[in-house]
Amino acid sequence: MLLSSMSKVVFGYSDVPCLENASIDIYSGEFVAVTGPNGASKTTLLKLALGLLKPWRGDIYLAKQNQSGKKLVIGYVPQQIAAFNSGFPSTILEFVRSGTYVKGSWLRKLSPKDHAYTEQALRQVGMWEHRNRKIGELSGGQKQRICIARALAQQPDLLIMDEPTTGMDQESRFGFYELMQHHVKEHGRTVVMVTHGLTEVRSYLDRIIELERKEDGGWKCCTTTSCSGHFSPVG
Amino acid sequence: MEMLHYDFMQRAFFAGGIIALVASVLGVYLMLRRQALMADMLSHVSLAGVAGGAYLHLNPTLTGFAIAVVGAIAVEYVRRSYKTYSEISTAIIMIGGLSSAVLLMSLNQGMNKGFSSYLFGSVVAVNQTELSLMIAVAIIGAIFFIVFRRPLYQITFDEETAKTNGIPVKWISLIFSVITGMIVAAAMPIVGVLLVSSLIVLPAALAIRVSPSFTAALFVAMGIGLIGVFSGLTASYELSTPPGGTIALVLLVLLVAGIGLKKLMLQMGKLRNKKTSSKTDIDSTVFPRYTKNSSIHTTGGKENESMV
Repeated sequence: MLLSSMSKVVFGYSDVPCLENASIDIYSGEFVAVTGPNGASKTTLLKLALGLLKPWRGDIYLAKQNQSGKKLVIGYVPQQIAAFNSGFPSTILEFVRSGTYVKGSWLRKLSPKDHAYTEQALRQVGMWEHRNRKIGELSGGQKQRICIARALAQQPDLLIMDEPTTGMDQESRFGFYELMQHHVKEHGRTVVMVTHGLTEVRSYLDRIIELERKEDGGWKCCTTTSCSGHFSPVG
Repeated sequence: MEMLHYDFMQRAFFAGGIIALVASVLGVYLMLRRQALMADMLSHVSLAGVAGGAYLHLNPTLTGFAIAVVGAIAVEYVRRSYKTYSEISTAIIMIGGLSSAVLLMSLNQGMNKGFSSYLFGSVVAVNQTELSLMIAVAIIGAIFFIVFRRPLYQITFDEETAKTNGIPVKWISLIFSVITGMIVAAAMPIVGVLLVSSLIVLPAALAIRVSPSFTAALFVAMGIGLIGVFSGLTASYELSTPPGGTIALVLLVLLVAGIGLKKLMLQMGKLRNKKTSSKTDIDSTVFPRYTKNSSIHTTGGKENESMV
């Protein structure tokens, strides 16, 4: 099922377009990496896909519902995680639990399921033991972990992450790739992440979207179909 | 408690109490949204409304209220065009409000004396219009902060991720600004234009430093606000000092004392750790690892379950 698609999208921050003729399709159940040199508009591409930015021209489609007909839940982990409000007085548990707020009404009582999702997400990123600490006290890498945990606690259909592995040590990175692959294969989630460590992650991926410089200066998309060939996108 | 026999003191305590509750909760959100100065700015803007109302022979309380709300909406729109520097929007609107207030005040010279009650507050002279306005604002504010507590938490943390979660960030942000304007205008008779931000910012500033969690911060802020207003009012009655200034000063003393106490407790904790240094917390030294296995052993994260 098509989750997100862009066709011939043109976008720029000033009067010069930085992204031209970008066309991509993202299907459910895929593990996709977006890569390209610094300044290649990778983050811009994600924000356009999420609807945070409006394109100058071209069409952007983002599915409203997931495969089972429920509202599509999107988890987004932005890039400047480490820069967040260091004085924020929240505990890690409260913060990750806020991921479960996306479902249902704003006033409902959280169910045991929600608490289970919160705990599961925290355990998966290895931060459960720290749950009662304040988020302001954490290191950059730990902040990144709890942001990923919050996105996981949402039980997202589409998980979009902007350079989630920056600043992670090698062992953590491989653990992280495995965790993401697990979510794609076992839970049928779609994971899109910006990364520079292609050599490491290649074997886990289904598809790579590469942003390349065009002859005349702009950037275009170029999709490489993949590597872990035993797993193809599901209809 | 002889002072409570006077009905002007009863009114002052009542009005001060309800505004302290909503204003300090508002303050927590304002601080975390990097808009701590917004309260100060809106109070200056609403001064223009007061001056305009006096000039046009309308009820200055109501015109001040209306202009504060208009200013709040304006600041929200300016903020959107200066995304990363939200304090600039504060400065821009404040200049507009204060300069027009000065001009309007100069137009009716005879009024100047009455302005000092707006500048410094006169809670003991709260009139019926102001009191009913305060009650209405407190009810609206309380409903807003209860109904929207979850989206507000998410927006306060990060607007972009809140937007991708399907929260109508623009609308909630706008309503939040309007509520801010209303609370500021309602708090003006108590501490006055110049000190409104003390009632909003100081309890929040201390609460954020000492609270163990976000929910706790909201309640701690309310507690500090109440203590500050009540003891400020009592002190001003006993010492015959102006109530607005006394309340603000008491809150400031509370803030400094609270931060000092926190530092002291940290120092004591360090000393205690030195003595029993052999026993360290194992959990916090283990490096966290990503894992697929996530069997749940304990309570399911129900501890600390609370309002948020």
